[in-house]
Amino acid sequence: MKRTLILSTAICALLTSAIYAFGDIARPKVSPSPGEGKIVFHTSLLVTSDSKASEARLQISQETLKRIREATADASVNESLTQRIVHSSTRTMMAGVFMFLAVSFAGVWLARSSQRRGRKAVAAVLLGAFALGAGAIIVRANAGPPGYLRWQGLPQNLTKGRPTGGGVQIEIVPGDAGMKLIVPLRIEEKSSEE
Amino acid sequence: MERTANIPLAAWPVARPADRPRVSARRFAALLIVSACLSAALASWLPLQVSIVTVFLFAGPHNWLELRYFLMRLPARFGRSRNFFAVAFAGIGVLTLGYLALPALYYTNVWSGENWPVAIATWNTLLLLWLAALVILRGKQSSRRDWSWALPAAFALSAVNWLAPELFSLAIVYLHPLVALWFLDRHLRRTRSEWLRTYRRCLLLLPLLMVGMFWQLSGTPSLADDNGLAWRITQHAGGQLLPNVSTHLLVSMHVFLEMLHYGVWIIALPLIGATGAIWSTKTIPLARRRGGFPKTIAAILSCSLFAVAVLWMGFTLNYAATRDVYFAVAMAHVLAEAPFLLRMI
Repeated sequence: MKRTLILSTAICALLTSAIYAFGDIARPKVSPSPGEGKIVFHTSLLVTSDSKASEARLQISQETLKRIREATADASVNESLTQRIVHSSTRTMMAGVFMFLAVSFAGVWLARSSQRRGRKAVAAVLLGAFALGAGAIIVRANAGPPGYLRWQGLPQNLTKGRPTGGGVQIEIVPGDAGMKLIVPLRIEEKSSEE
Repeated sequence: MERTANIPLAAWPVARPADRPRVSARRFAALLIVSACLSAALASWLPLQVSIVTVFLFAGPHNWLELRYFLMRLPARFGRSRNFFAVAFAGIGVLTLGYLALPALYYTNVWSGENWPVAIATWNTLLLLWLAALVILRGKQSSRRDWSWALPAAFALSAVNWLAPELFSLAIVYLHPLVALWFLDRHLRRTRSEWLRTYRRCLLLLPLLMVGMFWQLSGTPSLADDNGLAWRITQHAGGQLLPNVSTHLLVSMHVFLEMLHYGVWIIALPLIGATGAIWSTKTIPLARRRGGFPKTIAAILSCSLFAVAVLWMGFTLNYAATRDVYFAVAMAHVLAEAPFLLRMI
């Protein structure tokens, strides 16, 4: 009876772990569509109206233009660290393997280490890691409001002739369709609620 | 056990006050502070020009003095340190050849540019594992030391290295000059302990100068790298890897650290007698011992002097190409510093 119970529990555990493992299988790779853009630069944008102007104007400061040129010159280099890691499965796997080895050997070293000083050092490292983690949580919690909030007053400001400013990402898209400004406006559907 | 007679006493000159140059701790501190401030000011003011001039003038001589120092610190007989030195020399040879082979294989199209980070990460991992092996071997030479933490530390650093191999290599470029300061610290501790406290206080100036340089130069426009030499210098300082950081700041910081490195090897260590009498081979245990190799050691030092002269000639004829070759070959001296530093800890 005891043996059957243990066997059943083991089979259940195996099946459960198989479900979890299956759930952790990575999504199939989606090849990027030809029309997909690539964000290369982040800067600020001010939208304002001019009653005397006859043409719409796009003003770019010399320094910003220079930075855009530099950013587009070698876009592959300017990928963020996360993007570069995501695009290289070999490196991610190797990093994981070494991380695993580091944790394993550190555990063995900790278990074998009888020196009080060594344990104090480990305690200091753990405390430091905890402080960093807590700091990261606090900083994350103090992160500013999402970018679209700055653009919420755009329609009203344009009507009143006031300027509206916020962050903007420079995205390079294929084709020859000129320039397009996509403003993140959240339109409230009042009529449906009423 | 290593015989007492075999321990190279010449490496630690007998502390006889009459033999020492009469330099007080205050003068030593003043020299350090003035040198550091002057280096920071020059590096911030004219980074490219100062980089060209310092590498031209001091790269070769500092390598010669390092070689002489390493020969002086090499024991007459390896004794219990045989395995340590075998691993050290094997690592220096293999890693240097590997480092030189990387660009050669790249230019012969053996692999594509996309695999370049993997090649760099592999080399960095081998370097870390070699360092861990040296630390563990050194730790085993004393029963009081447990340095087995080196292995998990090397694995953890390897993991970080595989995430960003180019940045890891750049970190080595910036950290290597600081190793010279560690050498100076160890020597002062053993030969001029009365200067040690002053020296460590002076070291506090270093982060202050670096923060000051960062504050002054982070907002400056990048350097014009429109010619091949300027481009090489900015790339060496990490201009391409850190596109959002002014290359003026990067080059200045790198030149500043390099100047400190040259200053330690060319001025500070000879000043405290760490390199021995420069022209004499009697302070080198391998040349001095019974049945030693005085002629071979003299020949090595003479050939190295000739190499310094060739380097200067190369810089005069084609500075950019010689600089590239120098910084590739100079990896050997970067690696050689590790085992000799470990021997002093």
